[in-house]
Amino acid sequence: MQWFDALLQGILLGGMYAQYALGMALMFGVMRIVNVSHGDLVILLSLIGISLSGQFGLGPVSVAVALVPLAVLMGWLLQKTILNRVVGDDPLPSLIATFGLSLALQNLMLQIWSANSRSLPGHGIESMSIQIGNIYLGVLPLIVLGFAVGLTWGLDVLLKRSRFGRALRAASADVEAASMTGINPRAVYAMATAIAVGILGFAAVFQSLRSTVAPADGAGQLIYAFEAVIIGGMGSIWGAFLGAMVLGITQAIGFRIDPGFGVLAGHLVFLIVLATRPQGLFGRA
Amino acid sequence: MTSFPFALAALPAVIVRRQTTSGRITLVLFVLALVALAAMPWWAGTGTIRMVLELCCYIAVAQMWNLLAGYAGLVSVGQQAFMGVAGYALFVLAQTFGVNPFLAIFLSLLVPAVLAVPCYLLLHRLDGPYFAIGTWVVAEVFRLVASNLSFVNAGAGMSLNVMRDYSAMERNIAMSLLCALLILVTIGGSFWFLRSRYGLALIAMRDNPVAAASQGVNVPRLRFLVYVAAAVGCGLAGAVYFMAQLRINPPAAFDPMWSNLAIFIVMVGGIASIEGVLIGTLIYFVADRWFGAYGASYFVVLGLMTVIVALYARGGIWGAVSRRWDAPWFPIRRHLVQYEEDRT
Repeated sequence: MQWFDALLQGILLGGMYAQYALGMALMFGVMRIVNVSHGDLVILLSLIGISLSGQFGLGPVSVAVALVPLAVLMGWLLQKTILNRVVGDDPLPSLIATFGLSLALQNLMLQIWSANSRSLPGHGIESMSIQIGNIYLGVLPLIVLGFAVGLTWGLDVLLKRSRFGRALRAASADVEAASMTGINPRAVYAMATAIAVGILGFAAVFQSLRSTVAPADGAGQLIYAFEAVIIGGMGSIWGAFLGAMVLGITQAIGFRIDPGFGVLAGHLVFLIVLATRPQGLFGRA
Repeated sequence: MTSFPFALAALPAVIVRRQTTSGRITLVLFVLALVALAAMPWWAGTGTIRMVLELCCYIAVAQMWNLLAGYAGLVSVGQQAFMGVAGYALFVLAQTFGVNPFLAIFLSLLVPAVLAVPCYLLLHRLDGPYFAIGTWVVAEVFRLVASNLSFVNAGAGMSLNVMRDYSAMERNIAMSLLCALLILVTIGGSFWFLRSRYGLALIAMRDNPVAAASQGVNVPRLRFLVYVAAAVGCGLAGAVYFMAQLRINPPAAFDPMWSNLAIFIVMVGGIASIEGVLIGTLIYFVADRWFGAYGASYFVVLGLMTVIVALYARGGIWGAVSRRWDAPWFPIRRHLVQYEEDRT
C-alpha cells in the first residue's frame, strides 16, 4: 500500500515536471536549442508572482492571469534579443548565451529577493486533500496534473492541427525549405519560445503554491525538465509528458526508500535509459 | 602517355615554418614562469603561494574546458565532477589508507581517468546542447553519491590531517612544485598536443568534423581521447586545489562555480586559443579581487558579459587582438614558406 501511495504521489509530482519539460521539448524540437536559463525563468516568474500577491493581495488565480501573459512576453523578448542571434548548427553560442543569462538572472534574483525561500499563499487550497480508502491525494497536485494533461494535449493539438503547428514542424524539419515556402522561421521561433515560456508561467504559479522557491533553485528545475525530455524521447510532446511521469514516480519511490536517495534515483533512471534506450522510452528508434 | 611538364621540375623549395618570434619569446617567458612558480617558497609567503595556486587551478580548469569546447566541440558544464572525484580519491588514499599524500595526488588521477570512460560512453549519445546538460547531471550524481556515501563521511566531508606531519616549508615547496607541474601539464601539454599531428587532426575537426573525417581523422576516437584527457587535467587541478584547502565536502568538491568560471574565462579571453585562457584568467582573477566583495551584482555583470561575448564577439579578446596583430604566443599553425630566390 505504501508503494502504491508512492506511485500515485509520483504521478502527481510528474505533473509538475511535465510543465517544465513541455517548453524544453518544444524549443529543442524546433531550434535544437537548450535554454539553460529555463529553470531560472520558472523561479523568476514565481518570485514575481509571490511579490504581486504580497503587494496587491491577489489570489492564485489572479496571479496566474497576470503571470502567464508576462511569461509569454518574456519568452518573446528572450527570442528576439538573444536566441535569434544564436540559432544555428553550432550548439556553443546558444548554450553560452543562455548560461550567462542564467548566471545573471540567478544573482539578480538573489539581489532583489534575497536567498530566502518563499511561497505563494493559496488560501487553504494547498492543504486540501481527498481521501480514497486510506490514501490521501492533495487537491492542488491533482489540479497540477490536470493542467499538465491539458497543456500537453493542447500543445499536441496545436502542433498537429493548426497553421502555426504546420509551419513550426516544417521549420524544424528543414529550415531552408520551410523559408522557401513562405514561412518566416524567426517569427515561428519567437512564437515557439513565447509558448514555451508561457507554459512556465503556469508552472511558476503551481511550483510556488506547492512548495517554496528560492533564487538558487533554478538549476534543479532545468535538470528535471531535461531528464524528463530525454527519458521520454526527444521530439515528442507526449514523450516529454510520460518522461516526466517516469521521473516523478522514480523520485517518489526513491524518497520512500531513503530521503537522500530520491533525486539520485531520478538521475540513475535517466542514466539507465541513456545506456539502454538512448532514443528515450517512447521515442522512435 | 603524354609527357607531364611538371614531373621533371624539382619540388619547390619550401619549408614549414612552425615557430615565430613571438612564439620564441613566449617559450622563454613560459620556462621562466615555471621556474618562478617552482621557486616560490624562496620568494613568496604562504599567502601568496595559496593565491597563485588558486590562479593556477583556474588556468588549468579553463584550459581543459577550452580543449573540450574550443577544439573537440564538446561543451561541458560538469567538469567539476572530475575535480571532485580526484580530490576525494586523494583524501581517501592519504587519510584513510595512509598513502604518502604527494604520491596519492598522482594515484588519484586514475579515478577521473577511469570514470571518464563510462561517462563519455553514456553522454556521447546526447545531441550537442543536451550533452552539456548531461555532463551536469553526471556531476550532480557524483555529488549526491558522495553526500550519501558513509565511506567518505557523507555530507560532513573529510579533512587531510596527514598534512600536519609536514612542516610549513615542506608544504610550501610541494605546493609550488605542484603549481609548476599543473601549468606545465595543462598549458605546456595542450601546446605540445596541439602542435602534434593529433592537434592538426583536432583543429581540422574543430573547423569541420565531416571534412576532417573524410581526410582520415577518426573523429569519435579523438573526441573520446580529449574528454578523458580533460577529465585527468581537471582531476589534477582538483587534487592540488583540495590538498591546499585541507578539507573537502560534497558541495565544495562538485561546485558548479568551476564551470561558471571556466566558461567566463574562455569565452571572454577567446575560445580555441591558449592565449585567451591566460588573458581571461587574468581578467577574472583581478575582477574577483576587486569586485568580489559586491557578491551577487558582480556575478550579474559576469553573466551579462558572457551573454554579450556569445552574441557579439565570439572570438573574445584574443580573437579581436589576433585579427589585428599576427603575433601568436603559442603558435600552433603551420606556415608553408617559399624561398624568395626560388621564385623565378
